[in-house]
Amino acid sequence: MDNLKEDLKKQIIEQLNLEEVTPADIADDTLLFNDEGLGLDSIDALELIVLLEKYHGIQVTKPEEGKEAFKSINTMAEFIRNRKG
Amino acid sequence: MSFITAYCHLNQEYCAVNGGIISRRDKQAQDPWFKQIYKEQEFAYPKFHKMDTLAQAGFLGSELIKRAAPALLTDYNDDEVALIFANSASSADTDLRFIRSYEQNGSPSPSLFVYTLPNIVLGELAILNKWYGENMFAVLPKFVPDFFLNYTQILLSGGSKAALCGWLEILGDRIDAFLFLIEKEASHAMEFSRENLESLIATGPVTQ
Amino acid sequence: MTYIGAEVIISPLGSTASDNWNALSANRSGITLAEKAGYNQEDIYLSQIAGISVDKRFEYLVGKALTSVEKHIDGDVIRSERTIVILSSTKGALDTDVTDQFGSCVTNLIAGFHLANAPLVISNACISGVLAINAAGNFINEKLYDHAIVIGCDVISKFVLYGFQSLFAISDKPCTPFDAARNGITLGEGCGVVVVSSERNIYKKTPLKLLAGTSANDANHISGPSRTGEGLVRSVTKTLQNNKIDPSEIDFISAHGTATVFNDEMEAIAFDRTGLSQVPMNSFKGYFGHTLGAAGVIETAASMQMIRNEMLVKSLGCSQSGTSKSVNIIAENRKASLKTVLKTASGFGGGNASLIIRNL
Repeated sequence: MDNLKEDLKKQIIEQLNLEEVTPADIADDTLLFNDEGLGLDSIDALELIVLLEKYHGIQVTKPEEGKEAFKSINTMAEFIRNRKG
Repeated sequence: MSFITAYCHLNQEYCAVNGGIISRRDKQAQDPWFKQIYKEQEFAYPKFHKMDTLAQAGFLGSELIKRAAPALLTDYNDDEVALIFANSASSADTDLRFIRSYEQNGSPSPSLFVYTLPNIVLGELAILNKWYGENMFAVLPKFVPDFFLNYTQILLSGGSKAALCGWLEILGDRIDAFLFLIEKEASHAMEFSRENLESLIATGPVTQ
Repeated sequence: MTYIGAEVIISPLGSTASDNWNALSANRSGITLAEKAGYNQEDIYLSQIAGISVDKRFEYLVGKALTSVEKHIDGDVIRSERTIVILSSTKGALDTDVTDQFGSCVTNLIAGFHLANAPLVISNACISGVLAINAAGNFINEKLYDHAIVIGCDVISKFVLYGFQSLFAISDKPCTPFDAARNGITLGEGCGVVVVSSERNIYKKTPLKLLAGTSANDANHISGPSRTGEGLVRSVTKTLQNNKIDPSEIDFISAHGTATVFNDEMEAIAFDRTGLSQVPMNSFKGYFGHTLGAAGVIETAASMQMIRNEMLVKSLGCSQSGTSKSVNIIAENRKASLKTVLKTASGFGGGNASLIIRNL
């Protein structure tokens, strides 16, 4: 099991107050912003930027940077690993 | 003439619809009070958990009124239900949380900031019910029946046919919410008058 | 008939409507660079009033505005029991008392000006000002009051600035409404006043006519503008219909024009859908910044000055229009006789509101 991905799921649930969701409900490739997936919205995207800074020390200065990165848990983990080099 | 066709009290201790208590707070419960009501009443609107306390109180009150007066959903066009709300603390409960986010928790939280306006609850109710009607949120020193009487009269003489009204005071432990539905036509309902409104506010629910 | 007049504007551009008019007609902006004002110590463009102390700025501005309006109307109106003062604001005196943002101001207005009725505070995000003027018109049409003094006021705070920064909604240059390169709002502060009345003779200068309008919710998103402009379309359509005004009669639109990508796009779509895309239009945000709860009152007052001075004022900051539906942005000041003016506002919580002002 990929620890970063599991951590991300917990962090997303906490940061976005997704009370009725558990980490097991989020697959690594679940589309975060799709209504068939997690159904997040534009404000959630901004909270994900806060999350990246708070838990991973990564600063995103333009919301557009997040667009690709926030597609799924897989892309978020990849984004974090790339940024941390 | 218009009528009070349903109403809901919500405070720290209980939640009541049309004078009958439907839920008492379990102080031992792990869940926050509003979440307790949400679960007990088996509501299913996951967005509830993301709302601030003001919007949660508005959600619970309006959903309970809809159950008590189902005609609200069937008898009106999408722009005929006006929302007329007021309180005295504005969005202070969430304002304090937002201040904490940047003073103590490292960065200003966008999801808290968007709730730092008292009228956001009206937006939430409009989205949930697809209501495109008139909105009004006033900040008053205390519950003033005349504000609701006057503004309801104004909007009901315009294009609105019903008004969902609410006093929504939430600040820390202080919870004082009273929502009521005003309709132009009703049978066996209470007349919408200052006396009736004052007595509903003053007496609270009848214990069951 | 419902009259509107005695307008006052307090902004970085001046403390009277005529001072502000002089700046607007010279296309002078109140926006300047505030060093290290941002959450991360960034320099931020703001439209800030210089020379007022941080403590009680809100109350000070409201008091100053009401004192100033006394000069333009019959002196007995403010104290009359047939008068209501309506205060339009989003965050009031947040910096002084976060848990009671309006209480002190309201109490002191009642005592200081001997008001017969408690002021009504309307707080509906960025549509507060237009909604408050509509409420004033409605109170008078329903004969609940004879006069309403509408005061719109908001001051700049760290709270609001940091909040808009967290939404990535602050422009990195003075805001450029409707421009292709717009990238956010510039916050402003100020206070506007208009007096609405059923009696023409309370005004020292000829008033204009208020055709009170309507509000409509987008029922779409609490912080994002509707993609279809639905609420604005509904509000404008009803305001025109209720007042039996044809779109072709509108000579000028004072749009909301915050300069965020999505807001201005939404407005362009809504004006296209309502047959108003050819009407000369501006946003005053390039001059005053976004004054939130004050904006609707300040911008209505500025539009009234345009009617009185017979001039269409350029929409500052728009060099190349950048919306999917074309709108008729005023590129340069020009003389024009304006009979009928539409003012609109849209804001958080999905609110939209509109009203019409007519020359007598």
